[in-house]
Amino acid sequence: MNDSITFKKRTIMIRNYFKIALRNLLHNKGYTAIKILGLAVGIMCCILIMLFVSSEWSFDKFHSNADRIYRVWQDEKYEDQNFVNTITPIIMGPTLEANIPEVEGMCRILRVNPTVTYTQKDFTDQALMVDTTFFKLFDFKLLEGNRANPFPQINTVILSKTTAKKYFGNASALGKNLEMQLGNEKEQFIVTGIIEDAPEPSSIQYNMLISYANVGKLFSEGLQKSWFNVFGETYVMLREGILPEQLYPKFPDMMKQALGENYEPGGFEVYLQPITEIHLDNNLPQGLQPISNPKYSYILATIGILILLVACANFVILAIGHSSSRAREVGVRKVMGAERHQLIYQFMGEAFIVTCASMILGIGFSLALLKPFNSIINRELAFPLNISFVIFCLLLVLIIAFISGFYPAIFLSKFNPVVVLKGKLSSKKGSGFLRQGLVIGQFAASIAMIICTIVIGQQIDYFKNKDLGYNKEQIIVVSTNLNRIEGAVLAERYRTELLKHPEVSEATVSLYSFAESPWITLGFTNEMKAYRSFQYNSVDANFIEAMDIEVKEGRAFNEQITSDVTNAAVVNEAFVELFGLKDPIGKKLPGPFQQEIIGVVKDFNFQSLHTPVSPLLMTMKPDSVFRKTENIGMAFAPQPRISVRMEAGGLSNNIKVLEEAWKQVAPNQDFVNTFLDASIEAQYKAEARTSTIVKIASGLSIFIATMGLFGLVTLILSRRKKEIGIRKVLGAKVISIIKLISMDFALLILIASIIAFPLAWWFMNDWLQEFAYKVDIKWWVFVLASVAAIVIALITISVQTVKTALSNPVNSLRTE
Amino acid sequence: MLLELKNIYKWVNSGSRRIFLLKDINLEVKEGEFMSIMGPSGSGKSTLLNVIGMLDHFNEGTYNFLNEPVHELKEKHRANLYKEYIGFVFQAYHLIDELTVYENIETPLLYKNVKSSERKALVADMLDRFNIVGKKDLFPQQLSGGQQQLVGIARALISKPKLILADEPTGNLNSKQSEEIMELFKDLNNEGVTIIQATHSEMNASYGSRTIHLLDGMRNRTN
Repeated sequence: MNDSITFKKRTIMIRNYFKIALRNLLHNKGYTAIKILGLAVGIMCCILIMLFVSSEWSFDKFHSNADRIYRVWQDEKYEDQNFVNTITPIIMGPTLEANIPEVEGMCRILRVNPTVTYTQKDFTDQALMVDTTFFKLFDFKLLEGNRANPFPQINTVILSKTTAKKYFGNASALGKNLEMQLGNEKEQFIVTGIIEDAPEPSSIQYNMLISYANVGKLFSEGLQKSWFNVFGETYVMLREGILPEQLYPKFPDMMKQALGENYEPGGFEVYLQPITEIHLDNNLPQGLQPISNPKYSYILATIGILILLVACANFVILAIGHSSSRAREVGVRKVMGAERHQLIYQFMGEAFIVTCASMILGIGFSLALLKPFNSIINRELAFPLNISFVIFCLLLVLIIAFISGFYPAIFLSKFNPVVVLKGKLSSKKGSGFLRQGLVIGQFAASIAMIICTIVIGQQIDYFKNKDLGYNKEQIIVVSTNLNRIEGAVLAERYRTELLKHPEVSEATVSLYSFAESPWITLGFTNEMKAYRSFQYNSVDANFIEAMDIEVKEGRAFNEQITSDVTNAAVVNEAFVELFGLKDPIGKKLPGPFQQEIIGVVKDFNFQSLHTPVSPLLMTMKPDSVFRKTENIGMAFAPQPRISVRMEAGGLSNNIKVLEEAWKQVAPNQDFVNTFLDASIEAQYKAEARTSTIVKIASGLSIFIATMGLFGLVTLILSRRKKEIGIRKVLGAKVISIIKLISMDFALLILIASIIAFPLAWWFMNDWLQEFAYKVDIKWWVFVLASVAAIVIALITISVQTVKTALSNPVNSLRTE
Repeated sequence: MLLELKNIYKWVNSGSRRIFLLKDINLEVKEGEFMSIMGPSGSGKSTLLNVIGMLDHFNEGTYNFLNEPVHELKEKHRANLYKEYIGFVFQAYHLIDELTVYENIETPLLYKNVKSSERKALVADMLDRFNIVGKKDLFPQQLSGGQQQLVGIARALISKPKLILADEPTGNLNSKQSEEIMELFKDLNNEGVTIIQATHSEMNASYGSRTIHLLDGMRNRTN
């Protein structure tokens, strides 16, 4: 009984608060709009960034056995160096399965590039060669076909929905034949399944799946058994309740048995990485799919929270700034019997209403801007209409309402009725400090973001403009799409054909072209038992000259000297330094290689600028080099490429020339080309993305802060109207009044700058550590950012102040 | 006896100097009195009203209200006391701009947790009595000063106080409106409500049964 009465009374009170809150908000439309808009923008940032971050953190969690699936990685030690790899030997999986009973299942995944013949043309597609256990371990949806027996024969293929549509249109693909070349000859593959495209947050992505039984078509028996050649990823599923740490003690025995006389304690260690950690663990090298730097999630989350806080600060600043007009109401209510906690509820209620309105608007904004946001972050995020999203939004509302409503509620409910009803409300010192503190905080965040925008922009410009040590201008790279032996023949024919055209200034053949880092990694153990590794590329005679690479010592390859084809090697300076070579010209290469060093080139950035230039070896024919090497690592299949430098001219015409020449030499093959500058730019996609986001974020932050400042100045002016009137009567000029109002703010922004500088410097310094080649953070960037903030603030202040300063003082003085 | 002030002192410190706002005030008010406090600006009229209304503290002395020692009561108890027995009327009316006439009058009842049906009845009575039924849905800005003060008095009366404290209730009104308001106070007094008003005007003071004079925080002379 008593409870129901109190409840009823509560609801009555709440209704009353709600009504008053709504009227109050409507009564002050301008401030309400600023508050709601600011918060809505903050909420929008928060929601969009939350979508991105949660997608980053949800990678691979959709597998029902995700907690039991691990990717195998290995740590090989040679003397002083460790070689960590997530790409493992072919033999790794079967060995684990045979020796460790706790391994319930194993699936190897190898990425291959079969040539698919389709409408009498050859296309290079991408396929995963997987064990038949693929559907036992993973939850990928097989739309048609048999999960238990996905590959009834060797020559069977499962197509993704998209791939099936590409090759067979809307007709059913199941049971149809597809002509593909994996190894040396073309074969018919029967389509035995259609699989749903891999979801976006998956570390396993495929166009088609081929049975692992085909591995023999690509790799010799020896390579399949070798522990020192790595080819694909290996996943294992452990039995329920088994942790990888429980298995680690068993691995040394297993490796001892497997490696025999090559075994050394600790020389080859095997570890398991939870599948759900693959995407954000950048301590391990990436496997088949790119991983994300978790730093970017943190940067984004920080930005989202900062913008939200800036918006909350807006709310508090305006609420307190506006307090003089609420003070009387508080006084009256207190005299009429309101208790302080009741007033606190009332003001919190108002904050809650504003936050709810902002949330609705913020959700609307994020819906509207999801598409552009997706294109910035290069994702396909969708709006999740699930319970956890609703909970997230509700929590966000509560948190924001609390952050932004609590202090103003405490502040406003504190007024002493005797004082405020006399109209003697002087703005209290304490509130002034807090408000100033918040303005400082807002501008510090904005200035820091502006600094970051500029520095990141400079770094990206640097990426674009740094002299890479070779000439990247006007180059189009054409891939032969064939293995290295067939490709080399075709490439040479194509080159000869190209040189007939006046539009082509240079053409050169190599196994890899630029922006395809890290080329090939070769390694060997020297006589001191130390492991040495370096990068390798096979190039034709005019590669060095055509690419404008500077020869420091000796000479480049020469077509006229036949011995160059097999016996000559050109290395870079880093290579000379690695092996401590003195007078390298004319000497034999270090290690097992027979070639003679004929030239040393200046270091050029064949890798991205994230890493320093690695030691590099170039020869004309790769075969003898490969034969002598213990360890060969390739990020993707080597296919001879022709890098063509065009004379300056029309882009479409250039492509047409190249394509027609291609049709002359390879009428049945797809013409695949890339622009070198675009490929180079693509290496810095993550940075470009961060740059765009920080740019937008700093814009929004300064926008919200400026809105808040606008509101605050309006309030201050309305309170100081009389003072300004009196000053004018006493002869003050407009400019002196602007100075009067803006000096305070300029000082606040200066303080904000002082706070922002070290923070921004620290952030950017940390970010720049990612790159081997980076810009210096210049002092003027800091000055520029804070001058920009001051100018924006002064414009805001002046616009408002001029209006008041120009008005007739009689009007403002008469109201008393 | 409704209330009794004995040797009340109130001061503020300004630097090393102590400025007295109230100095040795002794006052007894019986139920049913209509008392006026007069004195020039700054003489302490409002301060005395606020002390009597328990909105403001005093530094020394004793204050008994309905035999309760106010100077010894806890804040909360004191608040309950004035909520229950005292109504306030202000010179500047102090209506809440965002609330209608009806809602302004209703607000004290909300804070007293009066039931909805009872509230409706009480507010309706009050509107009826002051002849402002037709204006119940208007907002304060839509009323004349006299009408606003009428609402202010209605609001003060709604919780059936024993004592009405009115601080210059006609200070913002013209003479005709003033007269109406003072007549209303007189009627209320006749119904048994004790009234203490602070005023500049001898005319207004003449409606009361007794007048005290303040000067610099001290009783000057008593009639």
